[in-house]
Amino acid sequence: MELVQHGRTAPGAAPSVPKTVGASTAWEERRVPLRRTTPVAARPDLEQVFRRDYPLVVGVAARVLGSRDAAEDVAQDVFLSFSRSAVPADEARGWLSVAAAHTALNALRSGRRRAVREETAATAEDAVVSDVADTVVALEERRRVRAALARLPHKQAVALVLRHSGLSYAEVAAALDLSPGSVGTTVRRAESTLRKELIRHASSD
Amino acid sequence: MRHPTEGVLRRLLDEPAGVSTTDRAHVTDCSQCLQLVADARRDATAVGVVLATGGSEQVDLAAAWQRLSSATAATPTAVPVAVPRSARWRPALQRPAVAALAFAVVLTGAGTAAANDWLPIFRTEQVAPLSITTADLVALPDLSAYGDLGLGAEPQVRSVPDAARAEELTGLDVPEVDQLPSGVTGEPIHQVIGELSATFTFSAERAAAAAAASGEALPPPPAGLDGGSVRLDAGPGAAQIWTSSSGAPALIVGRAAAPTAFSSGVPFEQVRDYLLSLPGLPDDVAAQLRTFTADGSVLPLPVPADQVRTSTAEVDGTSATVLETRNGALAAVLWVDEGVVTAVAGSLDVDEVLAVARGLG
Repeated sequence: MELVQHGRTAPGAAPSVPKTVGASTAWEERRVPLRRTTPVAARPDLEQVFRRDYPLVVGVAARVLGSRDAAEDVAQDVFLSFSRSAVPADEARGWLSVAAAHTALNALRSGRRRAVREETAATAEDAVVSDVADTVVALEERRRVRAALARLPHKQAVALVLRHSGLSYAEVAAALDLSPGSVGTTVRRAESTLRKELIRHASSD
Repeated sequence: MRHPTEGVLRRLLDEPAGVSTTDRAHVTDCSQCLQLVADARRDATAVGVVLATGGSEQVDLAAAWQRLSSATAATPTAVPVAVPRSARWRPALQRPAVAALAFAVVLTGAGTAAANDWLPIFRTEQVAPLSITTADLVALPDLSAYGDLGLGAEPQVRSVPDAARAEELTGLDVPEVDQLPSGVTGEPIHQVIGELSATFTFSAERAAAAAAASGEALPPPPAGLDGGSVRLDAGPGAAQIWTSSSGAPALIVGRAAAPTAFSSGVPFEQVRDYLLSLPGLPDDVAAQLRTFTADGSVLPLPVPADQVRTSTAEVDGTSATVLETRNGALAAVLWVDEGVVTAVAGSLDVDEVLAVARGLG
């Protein structure tokens, strides 16, 4: 037994909408028996795309969130959505990257990730920065930049993260519906804003 | 001589081959541009350092794939859901942000369907994030595995110029948002969808086939159930959609007439209880569903528990259901009041959607 959302319009209280009688062909085609136990008919290319792009998607989310665990949660959600989508395989990389960036930015904006992010970042940082004071400074710097990232216009933030995750200008342009020429401008603005945040922080020490 | 834009200079750092020969030649001889390139490099490097992931990409791919496989396998096939054939879903799904937000909105739609005095019976644990249209505010379940489901009319969502026109077309009071959450600006798009109606006629034969397909026998239907019908009406509805700077919906405020059910010949509760007994429905869900009454006091929601947290809150004296995706990216609140369901959803946190909900005029 399955529940399916289905939208239909009939005139009802909307007298000016012309009434069309009879179920649509599209609906008839959808009327297939469903079983609760049937696994999701995931797209056949899912595993291939997953193995190819999962590290990228985690990387995109991790740049935003600063935590691999949180980034992997986001990546799982993104691939779950992707598994049910009809996004063409050749557009998957861009689609997945933007989805990861958006989802991670939203999470960042909501602030819910903060605790886990800082905790994990602290652990990761320990491995590369030997000096405790340096670690503290670096963590604070990252926290500030991520706060600034969350305040950027969404498109700027996404373009920035995608670019720093290794997508080409053409890929960023296609994924964000930007003209290729404006990708550089968008990324530049974002970097300028974040850099100012870093300087402001440094000068206030 | 014309200087290249800052965007071109920025690209020069990453993809010099993507910059025209003319611009490259110019930069080589232009101290002003060289300085800007140096500035851009400094900023890019500094930001690159703080955005570095410290090897986050070194993931355990096998474990991650296992996790995803479990998640997809645990998901019932809610996938045949609404719309895949419609032209409206493809553009929506090609925008990832929309796919994410659609999750909340489809939930909202499902909540509408399940609201009020109808269909506590049919509850899924999962909802596929498939579409993000106003049509989902007015949604009905596909029961075609268990009988004939006849639908009344073509789906049609219309954009209208303003709230006044939406009110005129739907007869609903279109709620007015007094204060938009931070980050949401501008004027909304108004959409309306008319009433929809579906008639479900139970078929013992069809249900037996569905049961057999899941490897179990169909419990004997009570007398009079075979051929009995229920009619479900929902809508009309109206939605206001604010988009973010990226073009993805940031906030959706929807209102629709809550669904109502009518039965012919066989008591609705009898249909419900029988369907509850069919193979495939987990015992705990069935037990929970049995507590639902037909008086509209309960708002059962098809909530995917592994992805969404639910809670309750009060909105203007009415108990509302709050949904929040596990990753905190999306939140929705919906409530039914006097036969009208209202929903507020967006890429916001719970406090923000509640603030919008409580501020609706």
